[in-house]
Amino acid sequence: MLELIDLSLSYAGRALLQGVSLQVAAGETLALLGPSGEGKSSLLSLVAGLQRPDAGRVQLAGQDITRLPPEQRHIAMMFQDHALFPHLDAAANVAFGLVERGTGKLAARQQAVQMLAAVGLAGREAAAVHTLSGGERQRVALARALVCQPRLLLLDEPFSSLDTHLKQQLLADVRRHLTALQVPALLVTHDRHEAFALAQRVAILQAGRIVQHGTPQAILQAPASAWVARFVGLDNVFDDHAIPPQAFVLGAGQPRRDIIAVEAQADGWRVTVAGDGGQAWQLLLGVRELAGQGAPCVGQQLAIGLDRRQVLYW
Amino acid sequence: MNRSLALPALLPLAFLLLMVAAPLARLLQEGHAGFSLALLQDSYIQWRLLWSAGQALATCALALLIGLPLAWVLARFDFAGRRLLLRMLMLPFVMPTLVAGMGVLALFGPHGVAGVNLQDTPWLLLYGNLFYNLPLLVRAGVDGLEQVPASRLAVARTLGASPWRTFWRVEWPVVRPWLASALCLIFLYCFAGFGLALLLGGQRYATVEVEIYTLVAYELNLADAGVLALLALGVGAAVALAYAALERGITRPQRLAPTLRTPAQGWPQRLLLAAALAVLALCCLLPLLAIVWRALQADAAVWAMLAEPEVLAALGNTLRFASAALLLSLLLGLCHGWAAQRWLALRALVFLPFMVSPVCLAFGLLLLYPQYSASVGLLIAAYALLAYPFVAKGVLSAAAALPPQLPQAARTLGATPWRSFCRVSLPLMRPALRRGLAFAAATAVGEFAVSLFLSRPEWATLTTLIYQHLGRPGAANLQLALLLSCLLMLFALLAFVVIEWPEKNHARAD
Repeated sequence: MLELIDLSLSYAGRALLQGVSLQVAAGETLALLGPSGEGKSSLLSLVAGLQRPDAGRVQLAGQDITRLPPEQRHIAMMFQDHALFPHLDAAANVAFGLVERGTGKLAARQQAVQMLAAVGLAGREAAAVHTLSGGERQRVALARALVCQPRLLLLDEPFSSLDTHLKQQLLADVRRHLTALQVPALLVTHDRHEAFALAQRVAILQAGRIVQHGTPQAILQAPASAWVARFVGLDNVFDDHAIPPQAFVLGAGQPRRDIIAVEAQADGWRVTVAGDGGQAWQLLLGVRELAGQGAPCVGQQLAIGLDRRQVLYW
Repeated sequence: MNRSLALPALLPLAFLLLMVAAPLARLLQEGHAGFSLALLQDSYIQWRLLWSAGQALATCALALLIGLPLAWVLARFDFAGRRLLLRMLMLPFVMPTLVAGMGVLALFGPHGVAGVNLQDTPWLLLYGNLFYNLPLLVRAGVDGLEQVPASRLAVARTLGASPWRTFWRVEWPVVRPWLASALCLIFLYCFAGFGLALLLGGQRYATVEVEIYTLVAYELNLADAGVLALLALGVGAAVALAYAALERGITRPQRLAPTLRTPAQGWPQRLLLAAALAVLALCCLLPLLAIVWRALQADAAVWAMLAEPEVLAALGNTLRFASAALLLSLLLGLCHGWAAQRWLALRALVFLPFMVSPVCLAFGLLLLYPQYSASVGLLIAAYALLAYPFVAKGVLSAAAALPPQLPQAARTLGATPWRSFCRVSLPLMRPALRRGLAFAAATAVGEFAVSLFLSRPEWATLTTLIYQHLGRPGAANLQLALLLSCLLMLFALLAFVVIEWPEKNHARAD
């Protein structure tokens, strides 16, 4: 189990992390979610041992590893740009850590080839790094991290350079591997879809502090602040409450409201209507919800009610 | 991390202290002690000083006048072999000064290929200076002009500027700092140059550096030599500082916007291109061709002289000294370049040995370590001093280009800092290291000034042997000097091929 206790770090006079405490249980994947440039990657550097914290401790399985050099931690890391070694072929990249841990070169290469096959890259072991596609690089990086059987896997926005379709597929693959190997993982990302798809628990980092953590469902059902509510993707966030999409009731018998704005989307329309108390409500309406009504336009009215029990307060 | 960088820094620092700072301090002391205004009122010395500065300034002016149009043509016209030509511009840089000097003599000396004897005129030295320095200015000009994106030129034209006005209002302001810093270097090289001035200057048109050598080696007048060295160092330091200041003002963006480069269209443009290439060949290729031409005409008896013990010994010395200096350079360069990543002051020190005149340095070494004046260790250390900055520069730029995530990834995979350096950083720096070592090898093989000062007769290298034979009467001696120059040129070409050989882009299975 990984325990971060009161970690603080500043860089060039700016506090990046202020007293961050977190726990990752055995076999668990935890996502650290926060806006770009807010010290998420620095936190991973602290855990990997590439940087020293100004204050606080890092414990792995009960052992204080704060001052341990990275090579003695047995913590693998997947970097944002994958950081594959350009002078080595795919299998040599994967075998790198095995060789460092004392495996003979031949045996290391055999294991690397097997690991590459396990991540779907059978037959690509002799490929030069610059000939690999983005998805293949990602898989080599994953294989390189996992083949050493690390005590913990760190993932630094590893999917950010991939397109959406590829990302979905790789997310599923990574999740499968993590579950199969029972490796605990700490993922940092600014993308809530990635966080919610991969992690059992999510911690939200705002300006160097953890402002909320829990399961994705718990956070979506009870955001701790307006900032968190907006950050996890809610559209209708007000001073002390937010209206989740499921709180809106459409259909006959509901009060009719003026449409203020309409924005066409790939799978429907984003409609803004005049809500209660001068609020503007945004709804994403698919073709199914608007069955038989045709495209909405400004000046028309929509029948929309509010289920007050579903509104989230903090 | 800081601690691990401090250790490698100590070695080059100690070396520079012993081999540059201390000798120069000793030299300054010598010059200061013997300083008298009477020497400066001597009209002979006044002429030497004036001519040294004058020939450097004249070379700058000629290089600018000839080089800027050349640079513009090379930057704006696209033609087959353009990239190769730009790379070939580095060729004179690896040529030993003796080869260049012999080339100029073979062309315009007595009985020269050109049929015009320019000996005992200033033109011989100026032409030799251009051989080295014109490419420097052309490279700087091309690099500067390539900073101007095509869109900016197009905007100027649509706003009503003629091509000529566009040059002055858009291109000239960008290229000016590049040219200025190149001109500083050219002045420095010409002012502190020794080998060319010794070979081509003759009695009247030799420079201060030659005068210092003559005073030390033939007249044993250390006091006057010290005063002159003090003056030479002062001028050199001032220009070097100006160069450093100018160089700081130049920004080198990582990725360039597309630049304007079109094939030459129509006869006027084609003529312009052809003329530019002809001028370039005239200045930079002709002397080398002249050596080969004259060497091929050497008598059979002279060819046979190549197998004489004197020549073989010189060849052996050259190779032995150069390989020893190369080993030392590799160690010093790796330490200096790696440590300079963090320490900015060390970065500036990389260029120090480039800036100091070899003659002053050798003179200072003689003054400071008289007991070692005939020791092979001092000679090799001096060679390494002149050669290792190339290695350090290569390591420094390669280390800067190395993404920090790669060593970090190696660390998370279980590599200690040392293992990570050996398995990741070092292999990725190999091309730069190879290039730096080739430059260093060319420097060591072609070294002349320091060899002349510190060498003993039985340690003659190829360069000193060429000089000896050039000084002896008779056609056979001249022909042998030409043949040996040819051999030296082959070594330089070999180094050049190693430098420019494209890196194979393949991955290894480790």
